[in-house]
Amino acid sequence: MSAKPFLLAAEGLNKSFDGYQAINDLNFYLDEGELRTVIGPNGAGKTTFLDLITGRTAPDRGTLMWDDGKHDLLKLSEYQIYRLGIGRKFQTPTVYNDHSVTENLVLSLAGSRGIWHSLFGKVTPLQRERIAEILDIIKLTGHAQRKAGTLAHGQKQWLEIGMLLAQEARLLLVDEPAAGMTDEETHRTGELLLSLAGKHTIVVIEHDMTFVRQIARNGKVTVLHQGHVLCEGAVDQVQNDERVIEVYLGRKSKAA
Amino acid sequence: MTSNPISSRIHGPILLVSAVFLVVVMPWLNSCGLIADFTLNLWGKYLCYGIMAVAIDLLWGFTGLLCLGQALFFSLGGYMMGMHLMLMIGKLGQYKSDLPDFMVFLGHTTLPGFWQAFHSFPFALAMVFLVPGLLALVFGYLAFRSRIKGVYFSILTQALTYGAALLFFRNDLLMGGNNGFTDFRTLLGSDLRIASTQRILYICTALLLVAVVAGCKWLTNSRFGLIQRAIRDSENRVLFSGYATANFKLFIFVTSAMIAATAGALYVPQVGIINPSEMTPEKSLEAVVWVALGGRGSLYGPVLGAVSVNALKSWASRAYPDLWLIILGGSFVLVVMFMPNGIIGIPAQFAAWAARRRNRDATTAAAPANRVTDP
Amino acid sequence: MFPFSARRVALCASLLLRFALSVVTCGTLAAGINPPVRETIAAAVTAGTPDEQREIILTLKSNPTPEAISWLNKWKEGAIFLNQDDAGSATALLLTGAPDADDSYATIKLSDGKPMLAADGSPVRINPKTVDFADTDSGLRRAMKEVADLAALADPDPEKRIRAIQDSAIGQNPDKLPALEALKRLEKNPKAQRALDESMAIIQLTSSEPAQRIEACNTLGSLRSLAARDIIKAMVSDSDAETDKETRSAANHALTEIETHIAAINAVGTAFRGLSLGSVLLVVAIGLAITFGLMGIINMAHGELIAVGAYTTYIIQNVFASGLKLSPFGVSIAIPGLNLQSGANLYFAVALPASFLAAALVGLLLERTVIRFLYRRPLESLLATWGISLVLQQLFRLIFGANNVQVNSPLWLSGNWTINDVVFGWNRVFVIVFAVAIIAVTWLVINKTPLGLLIRAVMQNRNMAACMGIRTERVNMLTFAFGCGLAGLAGAFLSQIGNVGPSLGQNYIVDAFMTVVVGGVGNILGTVISALGIGVADQTLQQYLGNPVTGKILVLGAIILFLQWRPAGLFVTRSRSLD
Repeated sequence: MSAKPFLLAAEGLNKSFDGYQAINDLNFYLDEGELRTVIGPNGAGKTTFLDLITGRTAPDRGTLMWDDGKHDLLKLSEYQIYRLGIGRKFQTPTVYNDHSVTENLVLSLAGSRGIWHSLFGKVTPLQRERIAEILDIIKLTGHAQRKAGTLAHGQKQWLEIGMLLAQEARLLLVDEPAAGMTDEETHRTGELLLSLAGKHTIVVIEHDMTFVRQIARNGKVTVLHQGHVLCEGAVDQVQNDERVIEVYLGRKSKAA
Repeated sequence: MTSNPISSRIHGPILLVSAVFLVVVMPWLNSCGLIADFTLNLWGKYLCYGIMAVAIDLLWGFTGLLCLGQALFFSLGGYMMGMHLMLMIGKLGQYKSDLPDFMVFLGHTTLPGFWQAFHSFPFALAMVFLVPGLLALVFGYLAFRSRIKGVYFSILTQALTYGAALLFFRNDLLMGGNNGFTDFRTLLGSDLRIASTQRILYICTALLLVAVVAGCKWLTNSRFGLIQRAIRDSENRVLFSGYATANFKLFIFVTSAMIAATAGALYVPQVGIINPSEMTPEKSLEAVVWVALGGRGSLYGPVLGAVSVNALKSWASRAYPDLWLIILGGSFVLVVMFMPNGIIGIPAQFAAWAARRRNRDATTAAAPANRVTDP
Repeated sequence: MFPFSARRVALCASLLLRFALSVVTCGTLAAGINPPVRETIAAAVTAGTPDEQREIILTLKSNPTPEAISWLNKWKEGAIFLNQDDAGSATALLLTGAPDADDSYATIKLSDGKPMLAADGSPVRINPKTVDFADTDSGLRRAMKEVADLAALADPDPEKRIRAIQDSAIGQNPDKLPALEALKRLEKNPKAQRALDESMAIIQLTSSEPAQRIEACNTLGSLRSLAARDIIKAMVSDSDAETDKETRSAANHALTEIETHIAAINAVGTAFRGLSLGSVLLVVAIGLAITFGLMGIINMAHGELIAVGAYTTYIIQNVFASGLKLSPFGVSIAIPGLNLQSGANLYFAVALPASFLAAALVGLLLERTVIRFLYRRPLESLLATWGISLVLQQLFRLIFGANNVQVNSPLWLSGNWTINDVVFGWNRVFVIVFAVAIIAVTWLVINKTPLGLLIRAVMQNRNMAACMGIRTERVNMLTFAFGCGLAGLAGAFLSQIGNVGPSLGQNYIVDAFMTVVVGGVGNILGTVISALGIGVADQTLQQYLGNPVTGKILVLGAIILFLQWRPAGLFVTRSRSLD
């Protein structure tokens, strides 16, 4: 392991599904406070990588250490990983459809996750303030009592980001936040993520190159290809890398 | 699941009135002779079923766990109470022995060790909670730890119940075998065969029902309730919100088992018999029918369902004995297909239907708030 | 009873006859021809004292022909009559033909088979009530049995012969040794030879010579004689019964050998019974593996579809025989029968496809009316189909009655093979063969037919298949009907090995679901392995616990623990999609 303290260090990760190698000898290091963007063509293993970090799937081989090697994520279950301060926004918005927007946020508030607390704990005025603040950020103040299932797709995306905010996580894993949003909404999402950088460490997975260029202004970009890190660097550097152009941008520009 | 459309303003008073009616008015009318002892006793039985139905709803309606083992917990509670009642018969049994009749019949001369402590009522009462609770704890721990859910959970609980019923049918378990326990005489010194004792038991049942409904109401309205319903709708998401869903499910499973067990413990002295046919998977499914028919996801629906189905059963199994099962099965199919929210949900369904009509008339294409599937 | 006076009078004549007979016997023996057996019997019947009678009967031991046995049996049954003539001599008679007005019958002399003639040459007719029949006492019957036992030892049918040889060891009577030894020299059949060795050794265990007893023990040990086990055990356990030290050790050795053999037999027998129970589970669960495993539908009425198949078999059986009368809802329906003589063995060939079709049809109806609305709501489909199962059960009760109905299984199911002391019942073999066949059919349908291709496509990705123009509705319908048809086949099958009643399906449904869950949903191979595994485990536990219920409960417990280890069953179909 490297001498430099990483927030998250993945080494030699491998994962295959029925012979399909989704993650192939992946090494990935993340510093505290970084805003990292991960790009890659379909099937590059981006979402699987997030699944491995959050404990949804176990890798066949490899290590995954948190907070300078203090915790071995592979030994922890989903909720324990969450409690370390790793939050995730899923690719398809997953909110509690039958709960109101406020209730969704209440469930995500930082604090005890025990049964006792859930039975007798009250929402404090401070927390109520925080919820109001988040509702304002995600522009859902007017929909606070609506059922989340009735929100539009983009609104659900925002709500899920709001849930991440309520959690006050150290690391935010954001999977395609701009999918299904209008250009304006996408831009606002980018601004939001940028404003969070520094306070939180953020990993964003994205397809939309405009969006990537917006949020990766100061951060690093990692390109995944066939479950492996193809290259890593500033956005311009990556965009000019020939291998990247060949496997990803080339295809992307053709598609566009 | 849509919330109840009746506004809470009328809701509260209706509930209060029904609670007062069940707990105070019915027994009073009985003591005045206006309600027959038989009828009150029958209602005591219905309300026991109602309590079990609430327990099922807590699991199924609110947490999405369809347990086919609730009849097992109910019967276990009943058996624990039954053991005490059997010992209270004393020498009044057929064989004039201190041992329960069935043991004398099987040739036993001493009371088995695990029966001894059941001479004490407090001990029996503790066992009513502990035995089903412990079983639920162990089974639930194993099931939830390995993330068995949905229909798998149903099938496994069904198998558990089936296995337990097979076990209780055996004589060498020393729990009465086929015939179970019956011929009870006294409870806490009161003769079980006189009307006033039965009236007190009825009042206890009604009180317990009100307490259970109130308790569940509080539970489901707390943050715990939010998590419960979140687990029902998208368990994985809850896991990714940092909640140890297995613990929550275990808590609710054990609670529900103990509620059902209490109902069973009150059922036995009122009905006067408990045997293994009460703990078969079919009995559990029957109880699930009450919940589905009354309306799951609401706490009053199950009670309504339990009482109405059993009242219907009492009538139809006498009036049309051949057709009763067809009526029960058929109505179940219809309810599942056309009334997903049961009787309680009919007004909401009607309102939604009316709203759709209005919308169609106004040609506004507002998408109805359908349940969206898990991610 | 013989009237005593008649006996006395007959004595003289019979003595004469015997003398004559023995002369004849000597003569004919020399010529290699036996005297007519019936003459010997007639002589015995008419002999004066029971001792003489016994002696004559025992002479038959030198030539215990089946004819002699049949005459002796007639005698025992009281079908031989005695007619005293005026001189007081008795003749053994048989009565034949139809009775006339006086209830009299035509007569035949036992000794030569010719009609008995009166003094005037006319045939004599006799009313059986007016004459005595030849009686037997216990001594005579014992003598007859000795002859019969010997006859059985010489029976041309090897199986009967072997049984007789085995029976001869009962009682350990040393008098039987010479006969057995004589047989041993002639016997060609290896199984019979083995039986002879075994019986002789068992008898020899009573020998007064320790050396002979030791040899007998060694023989029995090396023969792994099951019959000798209890006898040797008694020798070993009771120190007074066997005092010789060396013999005791030989007996102990033999006992160990026999018991090791028994353990091996039990192991093979248990495995075989487990395999057949597993096959029953498999046949019952294979339909579920399709409807539940592949399609994800919890069909609680699966058990009732099995019953549909069983009742169809019942109807077909009756149609082949004398027809059937049913009275559902007070309407009486008479189904005419074909009265086929060979129906008893043929009907099953028709019942198989019929029960498949009947159950598939009911399944189709179910799918169209209820299940197709519940594809995405598995818990609801569980409840709705349970409702249907209640309705169906009650319909069975109303149509066929609440009691079990009689389905006769073909005769060929009742035999067995015995290989090295292990009994392989044909019904169990049938179970296994049937399971193999049904799996083969299912595998072919799923993997080798166009329908199977569609099924696999739709089950893997419903939406994608729909996009590619597959009519998923139709495929769902056909798949479900196919699964239900398999349940119907299981019903036809169960009707052959158990009772057919309204709650037939209920007895199997829990086991069937467990089998599919353990096997891993969506995997037919998993179901096969889990069914066989559960079957063998169940039978093994039963063998050790000696109690079917505890074994069953333990298996259920084991399944729950097993799912801790592999929550998704034996074979997991991995996918990347969430939930």
